[in-house]
Amino acid sequence: MRLREKVAIVTGAAQGIGRAIALGMGREGAKVVVADLQGARAQAVVNELKPSSGEALAVEVDVSRESSVKSLVEQVLRRFGRVDILINDAGIYLRSLVAEMKEEDWDRVIDTNLGGNFLCSRAVVPLMRAQKSGRIISISSRIAHHGAISGAHYAASKAGIIGFVKALARELGPDHITVNAICPGVVDTAQPRAHQSETVLKEKLKENPLGHALTAEDLVGPILFLASDAASYITGQALNVNCGSSMH
Amino acid sequence: MSDVALISGGANGIGRAVALKLAASGISVIIADREEAAGEEVRRAILAAGGKAEMVQVDVTKAGEIEAVVGGVFQRHGRIDILANIAGGSFYRKGIEEMSWKEWKEVLDVNLKGSFLFCREVAPVMQRQRRGRIINISSNYGVAGSALRVAYSAAKAGVIAFSKSLALELAPYGILVNVVAPGPTDTPRVMKNWTPEARKEREKEIPLGRTGRPDDIAEAFYFLCSPESSWITGQTLHVNGGIVMP
Repeated sequence: MRLREKVAIVTGAAQGIGRAIALGMGREGAKVVVADLQGARAQAVVNELKPSSGEALAVEVDVSRESSVKSLVEQVLRRFGRVDILINDAGIYLRSLVAEMKEEDWDRVIDTNLGGNFLCSRAVVPLMRAQKSGRIISISSRIAHHGAISGAHYAASKAGIIGFVKALARELGPDHITVNAICPGVVDTAQPRAHQSETVLKEKLKENPLGHALTAEDLVGPILFLASDAASYITGQALNVNCGSSMH
Repeated sequence: MSDVALISGGANGIGRAVALKLAASGISVIIADREEAAGEEVRRAILAAGGKAEMVQVDVTKAGEIEAVVGGVFQRHGRIDILANIAGGSFYRKGIEEMSWKEWKEVLDVNLKGSFLFCREVAPVMQRQRRGRIINISSNYGVAGSALRVAYSAAKAGVIAFSKSLALELAPYGILVNVVAPGPTDTPRVMKNWTPEARKEREKEIPLGRTGRPDDIAEAFYFLCSPESSWITGQTLHVNGGIVMP
């Protein structure tokens, strides 16, 4: 068990990629905080976690609200007393062409996907600095490099995450805190189903050199690697997990 | 894993650390290196720890020698699951106007052509198996460049583009091709060029504040051999303490 006794906050952990990461971290012995806008669903993931990890906590949080993030970290500290790992996974994907894009949609996507990274990271940095250790891993996207029609705000937010990660890695290196990103290709979760038919999605999922439809579970190994001691000399990087669909 | 791994440059430094790491996880390791005595030492260390290892002498710039090595490994084991191309070196630190054609060729041959030759021999074996992992070593200089190392930087950038292309070629066979790009690493060959003061100065530029260790790099190789990285191909994993963030 690579993460025994580590306290890990996973945002957006009630479903999809975040849920798979939370369960994976639990299997590796971490005390997992399942943080999500949907409190009831977060609690359901905690119930799934309990048989394996013993200690898990559900917290309802809006990562785009400063007070909500502050409350999240306070609850974690009350329960576990420390934070070793932060996984910034919470995100939304609204669809609109730029010419028709509403300002409030732009703000929502940037505030949640990128602003959430900022607020959650800022909240745990003092704790990690005091511990002289920590791991921050943010979920970016292949779209950060590639772009996507009707997803300019999403692409900007995910590319922003990469810039943010690099800068934060430089700030936190002297305190032995690593900061990295994962850029998945399109993943078979509920999120892409909101905007396209099942047939189109199934085809799209396999449009990559390996011909494999990525699942949330496929991202867990790379995340666990970056969170473990094995990756203690890797920082400021964006690791593509996309079956070879782009090679930036 | 009962896999078979062929490791070029496995006798010293990073290659040695990779050989020890893979062997410790149960992989049968074949150390292919020009330096026989050093390779033998690694082989004995692996055997003493209860692992499986062989040593074969090879010059990675000689196509005939590589053909013989790969043929021999296949004959003895019937498979090759992992190919780690680690043999390399920057050799020269000089301005372009002083670099001879022979020196340029030497650096390109060892660092880039050696990987090509090994991949060319091993790919058909992996294609028949319909599985395999190829991991080539590059360097932070392969993306950031370095004054006085034009040949080395060109070769290491070449390794990255070569690996992307090979990843596309071999993906239909379920073979993954990736790159590990270390930053400055604490190996005797690299560190003999650095005074303690120069090293300290250099470490100020590294966000994590220390020089890499061969074991840091070995962990990345191991990850790229493991089931956890099954859907990563054509990528470069930079293990450099943050000195370069491409």
